[in-house]
Amino acid sequence: MSTLAHIEDLKLSFGGVAAADGLSFAVTAGEFLAVIGPNGAGKTTALRMIAGVLRPDSGRVFFGDRDVTALPAHARVRLGLGFTHQIVRPFYSFSTIENVMIAAGHRLTESPWRALFGRSRRAARERAAAILERIGLADQLDKSPRALPLGQRKRLEVARAIALDPKLLLLDEPLAGLSSAEAAAMADLVRALPGDGIAVVLVEHNLGEVLRVADRIVVLDGGRVLAEGAPVDVMARDDVRKAYMG
Amino acid sequence: MLIVELVVKGLVYGCMYAMMAVGLTLVYGLLRILHIAHAGVFALGAFITVVVANYTGSLLLGFLLATAVSALAGIAIYRFAYQPLLGHSAFVPMIVSIGIFIVLQEAFRMIFGAYGIAFDNNPYYTTTVDLGGIHLNYVEIAMVIAATVLLMGFGLFASLTRAGIGWRATVTDPQMATSFGVDPIRVRYLNFFFGSALAGIAGGLVGLLNNYVEPTMGGLVSYKALAIIVLGGLGSVRGTLIASLVLGVVESFGAIYLADVFDRDAIGFLFLILVLMVRPQGLLGRG
Amino acid sequence: MSAYVASLVSVIGINMILALSLNIITGFCGQVSLGHAAFYGVGAYAAAYLSKLGVSLPLTLLAGAAMAGTIGVIVGLTSLRVRHDFLAVTTMGIGFVFLGFVRKQRWLGGELGISGIPDSGLGPVGYALFVACAAAAVVVFSLWLKQSWMGFTFDAVADDEDAARTVGVNTSAYKLTAFGIGTAIAGFAGGLYIYFARIILPDTFDFVTSIAILTMVVVGGTGSVWGVAVAAIAMTLLPEVSRAASDYRLLIFGAMLIVVMRFSPGGLAGLARLFLARRRMTP
Repeated sequence: MSTLAHIEDLKLSFGGVAAADGLSFAVTAGEFLAVIGPNGAGKTTALRMIAGVLRPDSGRVFFGDRDVTALPAHARVRLGLGFTHQIVRPFYSFSTIENVMIAAGHRLTESPWRALFGRSRRAARERAAAILERIGLADQLDKSPRALPLGQRKRLEVARAIALDPKLLLLDEPLAGLSSAEAAAMADLVRALPGDGIAVVLVEHNLGEVLRVADRIVVLDGGRVLAEGAPVDVMARDDVRKAYMG
Repeated sequence: MLIVELVVKGLVYGCMYAMMAVGLTLVYGLLRILHIAHAGVFALGAFITVVVANYTGSLLLGFLLATAVSALAGIAIYRFAYQPLLGHSAFVPMIVSIGIFIVLQEAFRMIFGAYGIAFDNNPYYTTTVDLGGIHLNYVEIAMVIAATVLLMGFGLFASLTRAGIGWRATVTDPQMATSFGVDPIRVRYLNFFFGSALAGIAGGLVGLLNNYVEPTMGGLVSYKALAIIVLGGLGSVRGTLIASLVLGVVESFGAIYLADVFDRDAIGFLFLILVLMVRPQGLLGRG
Repeated sequence: MSAYVASLVSVIGINMILALSLNIITGFCGQVSLGHAAFYGVGAYAAAYLSKLGVSLPLTLLAGAAMAGTIGVIVGLTSLRVRHDFLAVTTMGIGFVFLGFVRKQRWLGGELGISGIPDSGLGPVGYALFVACAAAAVVVFSLWLKQSWMGFTFDAVADDEDAARTVGVNTSAYKLTAFGIGTAIAGFAGGLYIYFARIILPDTFDFVTSIAILTMVVVGGTGSVWGVAVAAIAMTLLPEVSRAASDYRLLIFGAMLIVVMRFSPGGLAGLARLFLARRRMTP
């Protein structure tokens, strides 16, 4: 099993508070990894540092053997990384399908000059439609994201990330704000992704669903890794229970 | 001696810029709008000062009316131009602001003529005082005093009175302030009232300094004030004050030493651009 | 075509090219620019200086475009570093720095500008047709760009830069490209202007001109190629057909900015879309 990505001793402080205090863990190809922990443990911070949206004060981020710590977010996307935001950010001036199309056409958007001479949107449109169909948004293709309820906007966010043909997908609280039925459906949806060759790292609060779908979990507390391993094993540990309870 | 004189003159101009720029930074801090129409309020204050002073013979009355009318004009601009557009991106109110500025400037040109009006009785701009070898005229001294008194007064107001504290709270955290019972609309009116009054007074003083008031006078000062608020870190009053003085001094030196290469008015912007290249958040902004 | 009509066509063509060039920067890519006249000026000055050295017509235009585009990219680099809100003031500053510089340079004519620019050799009608073709070419290019993937990506960058980065878009490269293309075309317009005017003065390229160009874009509908083209034509013609409009030109510009932004921020194009949508709904 090859390591797809790993982080080494990441540290980041905001105004004196350490959001990350020496974080290290790895993701292997095709696995479903959940990152959990109490509030303020540094879960979202960790994800955003892997995505390149946040710069660590120290430490390194690797994709395979390559040190990508200095690489900007868009360049990491080009290396096979997909990312969804905790608070969804669709392009509100685009329709649902256009949101996915711009990602599906990622080869064309790589350089402005290539983009200038790319005219046809048909291939991207077909691919986007196929993804949206799989994800259950086939009826909303031409709707504005504003017209979609939160659950569907979250699906759109995931669809857009999938359209990038990522090898690794980072999901920041995809279940937040969803009803239990929607959350279960979303969990099933993302659970299927490793089957398509996409490794998933998921940050979540909703323990019920997470424990059901994850291969492996990493527990963070106070910006450090507290425990990692199979869900059953980790959740049985006293220190993990204590971190959650108080 | 030249150096000291340049610095002093620079600070005098800096005080004038500060009176303009504070109004701009207050509006930006609250509403994220670049209030370019502020230039029109400045010119309005100048025109009222000169017209009333010439008509009644009382400069004081001129200034009082200018202050009042400018303040009201500022509030009117907020109420009719900005408030309805707060839901749009910041681009929209900014464009309206540019439009208002142009309309005001043209209106002044049509009413008062392109060459403007001079003060009938203005001994102040020629009477100088010798301060240790440096000569400042009465108007320049008045500018420094006015700026210091008014800005310190506002500072005290903001720290000591309930209304002032409510205003500060709204600028920092509007939602929290509302939940504490602060009325955001009143805060905005206060903002525009104070900032526009300052601009009106500044306009009158600049008119006195040059001994005439003309329609385009608002433009350059306003553009520089915009550069100042960016330099000072948009929304920061302290930063704006420091940047105003810095710009005044930089311009003072630049006008002498760079006279062969750049126009005086370009120097301020050149300074801004150079600073932003090195520190994109401005001189004092937070990164 | 009489000489008067020819000169009118030339002015309309140049204004249209200017407006469309700003439309690429502000309308397509969402980068506000209040100093566009500076690039018009850079192109004009570069072309004028070279033309007086004997450089021939197509080369002077290319030189103007290249010079303006290069400086545009440098300005664009500034824009990358500063916050979005700063961009308006920074671009305004570029305009003043350009003007302040040019006014003081003896070798560029100082306050008196450059005069005695050679004739284009095409005659007034011929030149008018040349300008008209150039304007048409810029319209076609704008439409091409808008319908290409570059246009699609510009839309994304204009909508939400952070989200654009999430889908792999190198937003810096795209913003620089928008600046480079838009300013180069403005420089080209500057080159076209010099053979029309035969003399250039610094004040032609001041803040008021920047605002006038912006007004055409805003009134036409920021981002709409047809809207901006039509607005440029209409706003150039208006002072010609109406004496009152000519006297109050600036006042009308200002009023248009207020009225359009207050009541129809999408400009003429926005109104057209509304009108067409209503017509489609009634059977």
